Amino acid sequence: MTARLTQVPPGAQCFVGEEARLRRGIEETVVSVFEGWDYEEIIPPLFDYAEVFAGEALASKTYSFVARDGSLLALRPDFTSLLAKIAAGRLRERAAPLRLYYSGEVVRYEPVRAGRQSELYQMGLEHLGGDARAADAEAVAIAAECLERLGARGFVLALGHVGVFGGLVDAAGLAPERVEALRERVESKDPAGVRQVLQGAGVSSALAEAFERLTTLGGGLEALPQAAQAFSCCAGAGAALAELRAVADALGAAGLGRHLAVDLGEVRGLDYYTGLVFRVFAPDLGFEVGSGGRYDTLVARFGRPLPAVGFMLGLDRVALLLERQGRLAAIPRPAVEAIAATQLGAGLKDAVARRVRGARVRFGSGGDR
Amino acid sequence: MSLTIALSKGKLLAGSEALFRRAGLAFPNGEGRKLVVAAGELRFLFVKDMDVPTYVEYGVADCGVAGKDVLLETGADVLEPLDLGFGRCRVVVASPAGRAFAPDRAATTRVASKYAKLAAAHFLERGLGVEVVRLAGSVEIATGLGLADCIVDVVETGRTLAENDLAEVETVAESSARLIVNRASFHARRAEVQGLVAKLQDASR
Repeated sequence: MTARLTQVPPGAQCFVGEEARLRRGIEETVVSVFEGWDYEEIIPPLFDYAEVFAGEALASKTYSFVARDGSLLALRPDFTSLLAKIAAGRLRERAAPLRLYYSGEVVRYEPVRAGRQSELYQMGLEHLGGDARAADAEAVAIAAECLERLGARGFVLALGHVGVFGGLVDAAGLAPERVEALRERVESKDPAGVRQVLQGAGVSSALAEAFERLTTLGGGLEALPQAAQAFSCCAGAGAALAELRAVADALGAAGLGRHLAVDLGEVRGLDYYTGLVFRVFAPDLGFEVGSGGRYDTLVARFGRPLPAVGFMLGLDRVALLLERQGRLAAIPRPAVEAIAATQLGAGLKDAVARRVRGARVRFGSGGDR
Repeated sequence: MSLTIALSKGKLLAGSEALFRRAGLAFPNGEGRKLVVAAGELRFLFVKDMDVPTYVEYGVADCGVAGKDVLLETGADVLEPLDLGFGRCRVVVASPAGRAFAPDRAATTRVASKYAKLAAAHFLERGLGVEVVRLAGSVEIATGLGLADCIVDVVETGRTLAENDLAEVETVAESSARLIVNRASFHARRAEVQGLVAKLQDASR
């Protein structure tokens, strides 16, 4: 027997018994929240043409393979591209807004590290078209309800807007290489690094200071008016902040203020996100539980210009968080009724009858697990 | 619950201790070999310098003090709000003194280093072929014994290089100690983390 027959490939995941039941429980809770906000489930294909997933961030992480006709296929590395394709294709006649959700696995070439696995179970939704600010606020509120219902404690929804960074970059007229280096330093909240990247870039001192403020400004909602003042030199950043403020105010009015934080240094996925971005954090878990944001240009790739916002929660991470917070209660089940199979026909008849009454039966041999 | 701070047992320890004390923060008083020590409002983990970013990235520690060299090498996804100013050093390419170093003349240059990732990237980005020999220490002897053509290692004064007949060729990265913060702690324990950052910032000026 070769080692391959027993060895687990790095990143592959397997859940047994209680572990699997708890995950189903989490999934049911989240899906019921999605349904409660009138979202419709989509079960997209496991694989599609590799081109569908051609976004820069995912291309290098996609498991792709060649079909018999020579076309390049890929296992889904995310759901959003697939839902965008479906919204623009099969559902093209359906009037916007479209409210769609999914729950399932994606696979990625990803080194196993800090909560990242090659096989991930994602639960998420996409709101395509419709009133953008309402959809933004709704998406964040739904994420909050999911965590609330799951019993997560102390979670924080950190809100940002890529247009703040984008506005400053446009105003500064920076070369693309420098933008990426700068983005990376802003992402790390490293003011010294930002200064270093901007050295000799010919950026005005007001703008250089504004970039640096991006790394330090943040925290509670009081950061928004502060930011409006700090970035008053740049109209683009101001417009983005006004959008963010409208969303934050709505969430505050809905009583979600205690879960909100502002993070203007949230500048991941700039080739993808176009507006609001948010990440969900909680104490006891060192990495985010989920994330989302507005992506107004993606669906147009598939032939239907449709602005959209969405988010997803990682089931593995939610499960780990709830376990650490002691919130993962065993799901109650009826005691098992054992029925002997010594008299095969009579025994099975008994088992079937008890099943009709809804009992949990164990037919034949086997002990308690 | 108190914040957990990961510190290196290595060369950044003295500077970290001085900084924490200057900031008026509690610091363990010689607890011998204990690696997890509570002091005042804080809990300290004493770990290998290359492991500090890992503890912080996973959120086992909320904050840590790590060299920029280590952050570049590990590529940990952590926040870096403060350059603490101490522990300044450079990561350099060094080769046998008195001999021309010409990696462009060879298909592959063999490089011995503790910084395998940084060393490989430095050569590959310049279109130079490279084979990295990963070592855990005493990197300076690698060229003299024929294990490698050059080394990539950290220098402070350059004395160790000179003693081993090595000369600095070029700088790969500049480094100093950084305060690093876990992404989730930054938001989920905002008040405590920002309090610590502010105190350390004042003390590091």
